[in-house]
Amino acid sequence: MGSLGRAVYTLGLWIRETGQAMDRLGCRLQGNYYFQEQLSRHRTLMNLFDKTPVVDKDAFVAPSASVIGDVQVGRGSSIWYGCVLRGDVNSISVGSGTNIQDNALVHVAKSNLSGKVLPTIIGDNVTIGHSAVIHGCTIEDEAFVGMGATLLDGVVVEKNAMVAAGALVRQNTRVPFGEVWTGNPAKFLRKLTDEEIAFISQSATNYINLAKVHAAENAKSFDEIEFEKVLRKKFARRDEEYDSMIGVVRETPSELVLPDNILPDKAQKAVQ
Amino acid sequence: MATLARLSRRILPRTLSNLRLVRAFSAKAAQSAEQPAPPATTIRESADRVKWDYRGQRKIIPLGQWAPKIAVDAYVAPNVVLAGQVVVYDGASVWNGAVLRGDLNKITVGFCSNVQERCVIHAAWSSPTGLPAETSIERFVTIGAYTLLRSCTIEPECIIGQHSILMEGSLVETHSILEAGSVVPPGRRIPSGELWAGNPAKFVRTLTHEETLEIPKLAVAINDLSKSYFSEFLPYSTVYLEVEKMKSSLGISI
Repeated sequence: MGSLGRAVYTLGLWIRETGQAMDRLGCRLQGNYYFQEQLSRHRTLMNLFDKTPVVDKDAFVAPSASVIGDVQVGRGSSIWYGCVLRGDVNSISVGSGTNIQDNALVHVAKSNLSGKVLPTIIGDNVTIGHSAVIHGCTIEDEAFVGMGATLLDGVVVEKNAMVAAGALVRQNTRVPFGEVWTGNPAKFLRKLTDEEIAFISQSATNYINLAKVHAAENAKSFDEIEFEKVLRKKFARRDEEYDSMIGVVRETPSELVLPDNILPDKAQKAVQ
Repeated sequence: MATLARLSRRILPRTLSNLRLVRAFSAKAAQSAEQPAPPATTIRESADRVKWDYRGQRKIIPLGQWAPKIAVDAYVAPNVVLAGQVVVYDGASVWNGAVLRGDLNKITVGFCSNVQERCVIHAAWSSPTGLPAETSIERFVTIGAYTLLRSCTIEPECIIGQHSILMEGSLVETHSILEAGSVVPPGRRIPSGELWAGNPAKFVRTLTHEETLEIPKLAVAINDLSKSYFSEFLPYSTVYLEVEKMKSSLGISI
């Protein structure tokens, strides 16, 4: 660094210190109403003494999700924004390819009235919708729990069964194979058609792909984020059709290209 | 006993990590003993999974070229997650804990609308009806807390009660009200000027003229409230000072 650079750097340091002093003065003037921001103390994965969450390396856990205690998350699973998986008094195991969507809550019961222990076991390729509440349940492979559903202690959702949106499933209910349950309390509505059963596994696949995109985005460092912001600005307002009309070929930078397996027609490509 | 173990953890971090692995296996073994058919998958942990991100959750998550856009006078609470194609228009407010995830399709929150606490707004690939599969919330709409919206269209001046669920392709026309806890099945249309409630949503009554006049007033009242929140947040946070302090205390050069 040249001596001029050194001088400018020192000047910058002085001005910054002045700015911080001004900030402190402003805070002092605000008095008791002043709130100082802290670093985020949210822990995505948190252990309770010896109960440690075990998360596969291919799983996506959103930074705003909390995975606490004895939780096992399998390969390709995704735990979305604002989810809470609280395995404090018992264990939670989430299979592979399962998605637990935003703001959902999975919890366990120590024991229910009859003294049975109730860990939560969620199978493979399960779709659990937004804001669902799962409390001490067993959800078998390729089941579907709709948005805002509530499953109370000891519920078993069998393979390919579906709990519709907004349903409340009462204690110790068994939702049999290939049925849709809905309402409060949940009751049998109808049988699932084969198409819908296919849709459940398809939805799980879509979410595996989508989770990869989100995981990549959320794991970016500050420098990458800034770099992509600049790139995005540079390549904004460039209409592809217009460019092709005037005969300009511009390539979108590879950082800004999403993997196309999140598109619906190409989703099948990434089936594992 | 616990203190002893805690001490030993402090002294022997290596051994404990081994122990923990053993424990994981034993837990799995115990599970398999209880459950006749456990999923026989192995979980491979990665050492570089972040357990604590000092940045917390980012509010704006761009995906590829889709960056969420927030109008300058819209209020978006700090722990909201906006991902992908999300547009929040002027005067709109998105309250704490909401998640707006426009990764499959567009989400718009219109002028003076508000999305209250812990809502989840998502869009599907396609909707069963002919409507576009994007979630659009138009102007002067009040969306209550804990509401879930998925690919639905909400026309201007509606009220969606708390804990409501709107499924794919549903349409709420102008000046209609959904009561708290209502569930709108896929492809259902709620005609204008009506009050609906229940799971699944059913018609209750038509709204009087006075009530329809009240709807935008409620939205404006919430907008006023959001302004006081908005003014509480400075354009730039001062957390970077904390980060610099932490880094220098740990001896990391900035």
